[in-house]
Amino acid sequence: MLSFLEERRNGCKKPELLVRAEVTRRAFCLELSKGRDVQRIHQSGINTLDIDPTEGKYLLSGGSMGVIAVFDIETVPAAKEVTCEAVCTVGRSNKHVHKRSVETVQWYPHDTGMFTSSSTDCLLKVWDTNALVPAETFTMDKPIYCHDMSPIATKHCLIGVASQSSHISLCDLKTGSPTHILKGHRAAVMCVKWSPKQEFLLASGSQDNKLMLWDIRKAKGCLMALDQHNGEAVGHSSTAVRTAHSGHVNGLCFTEDGLRLLSYGTDDRLRLWDVVTGKNTLVNFGKVTNDGRKNVKLAVSSGAVPDAAFVPNTADVAVFDVQNGELVYDLKGHYSNVNCCTFHPLFQEVYSGGNDSNILLWEPDEGRVVDRGEEKQVKQKKGRTFYGQTMTATEDTWSSDEDG
Amino acid sequence: MLLKRGRNKLRMLSTEGATTTDRGVNCCGCESLPTLASEILVKAMKRSRVPDVFSNRKKVRVTGTAHNWEESSISPSEVASETKAALLYLRSLVNVQVFEDRIPPIVFKQQVYSIVKCKTAADKQINDLREKKEIKLFRLGKESDTFAIVFTDDYREHVRRTMADGPAKERFLDTVLEKTSDVSLDKKTMTDLGFKDEEITQLLHGGVLNVRDVGSWWIAIPGAGIFMKCFNKGRDSILRSIRKSKYQKILQQELEDRKLRAVQKLGIQYHIHDIIGAELVTRLDTTSGTMLRLDQ
Repeated sequence: MLSFLEERRNGCKKPELLVRAEVTRRAFCLELSKGRDVQRIHQSGINTLDIDPTEGKYLLSGGSMGVIAVFDIETVPAAKEVTCEAVCTVGRSNKHVHKRSVETVQWYPHDTGMFTSSSTDCLLKVWDTNALVPAETFTMDKPIYCHDMSPIATKHCLIGVASQSSHISLCDLKTGSPTHILKGHRAAVMCVKWSPKQEFLLASGSQDNKLMLWDIRKAKGCLMALDQHNGEAVGHSSTAVRTAHSGHVNGLCFTEDGLRLLSYGTDDRLRLWDVVTGKNTLVNFGKVTNDGRKNVKLAVSSGAVPDAAFVPNTADVAVFDVQNGELVYDLKGHYSNVNCCTFHPLFQEVYSGGNDSNILLWEPDEGRVVDRGEEKQVKQKKGRTFYGQTMTATEDTWSSDEDG
Repeated sequence: MLLKRGRNKLRMLSTEGATTTDRGVNCCGCESLPTLASEILVKAMKRSRVPDVFSNRKKVRVTGTAHNWEESSISPSEVASETKAALLYLRSLVNVQVFEDRIPPIVFKQQVYSIVKCKTAADKQINDLREKKEIKLFRLGKESDTFAIVFTDDYREHVRRTMADGPAKERFLDTVLEKTSDVSLDKKTMTDLGFKDEEITQLLHGGVLNVRDVGSWWIAIPGAGIFMKCFNKGRDSILRSIRKSKYQKILQQELEDRKLRAVQKLGIQYHIHDIIGAELVTRLDTTSGTMLRLDQ
């Protein structure tokens, strides 16, 4: 790294290269945070997490009992022993709480005064964060699996809603009612995602094994349905048309530049698609186990080259190199299935939530060792003084220090 | 001074959970060292997988004096790529004599993944070889993405040997083998290539085409049935023997020493490459050798 800095000083390398190199290095060497964790509020599994895009200060989480909690995650990253506390929660006692499990929560892209949550009780609620009261409620006729709002849209305020019915509703925040319906899928739609670079492009994956790209301005139908074989007649029958996976499409994530789309299916495969042409880039990620009952939230790093994809894989989060499909390593820490993970773009941290009601924080490994020694001694002085020195279970009291 | 530093480091590695007093004794006041050897090992493994962003790792460069390309008789493009070398090795594992020459040497695409580390690079090279018509891919097996690979020369010889003579056969060998690299054919392509219905029936009888759907066919290997039966039996018997072991894991050496009858025809190495590449087992390196662990 020192030679890199020297070259930057000379002008041989651009400063942006240093940023990119360091972000990539940090994105690829994550480990469970030694000093920081998130307060445990949820009593049941956590289905969804979202970090606010404006400042990266608050973490929104939704659980399977309908509970929504907001955590303050703003700390200096190298701080010792900090627990991120919950700022506010919509608990079971709140009048407006969801009756069933919350499947997706998302901050309003432009400020943290508002957030949206959707649940399998067929309701999409738009909450006012300060009052914790829903400002608007959209009622669908079937349980909602996922919803998404475009992060860059200026010409529209539409929320795409993926539910058990085979069409995607677009709900307008300005008017307060569903305005569009996108028809094309034949079975329940499991996931929906707006492109981060084009405000009218929407991708949706469903239980009929198809992944469709939509331009919402086009009246007739979808732009294209992505084909995993790229047109080659390799599927089971010649009439099996253009499926993206050989199983349900469970999770979707665009890369930060909006040029590629990562999709996760119950055929245990991850596929990387080129958004412009709609072709399968044929990057082979190997077998990634997928339970498949509900929407799984993937995350892709931003600012790193090559990008790292964080994919929940039963009880671990698998980190893949997006360019060549290599499994770099697994993040092991959860006791049960992981449902969602989200990437903090400013600090290159990953928050993951699972069925064990824990939100785990994964930080880049700086080789730092948390020295708990002094703190423990200080604590002892304040309290009881008759315990002289801490004894660890494996220490023996008969060997002397001089022997090897 | 050096000796003393070394001794301190060793001691810290051997005791678990060193207390404050131990950590405090450190020469030069440097930062605390990791307490366990395994922690160091894990960090080293992680460091090797992180992409080399600061160009720290020296790339091994082969100097020009190693091989003089202008004077040698082989051109650089003829040197086999990693995947082709893997395919040639796997092909050598198949002993066609055991099957009384009824099959050509068949290799599975997933076996290449257990030899070549990067799956995407292996896929790309297999596709390149396919475009150059050096190998041919066939769909064999239960899952929708198991592909069998046969070298084009072997396949052509095999078809010549096993199929009954006829105009359809020659036309098939000329057009389908040389021109197209598809896995399946449909009615339109067949008529374009000049095949009449009776000729298609002849090809079906000869075993070169398999029915896929109304009006479309898989290109197949005649006589592949006996191979598939033997292969499936061998694979199931290996997986069963791993499943029966305690903790569902077994040392590769021990697996090779176990004489399973169903595995003798194709050979244990062939099956091991197959189950590793199909990700039915994971290969781990341990101090006693390679271990294969069954995935759930």
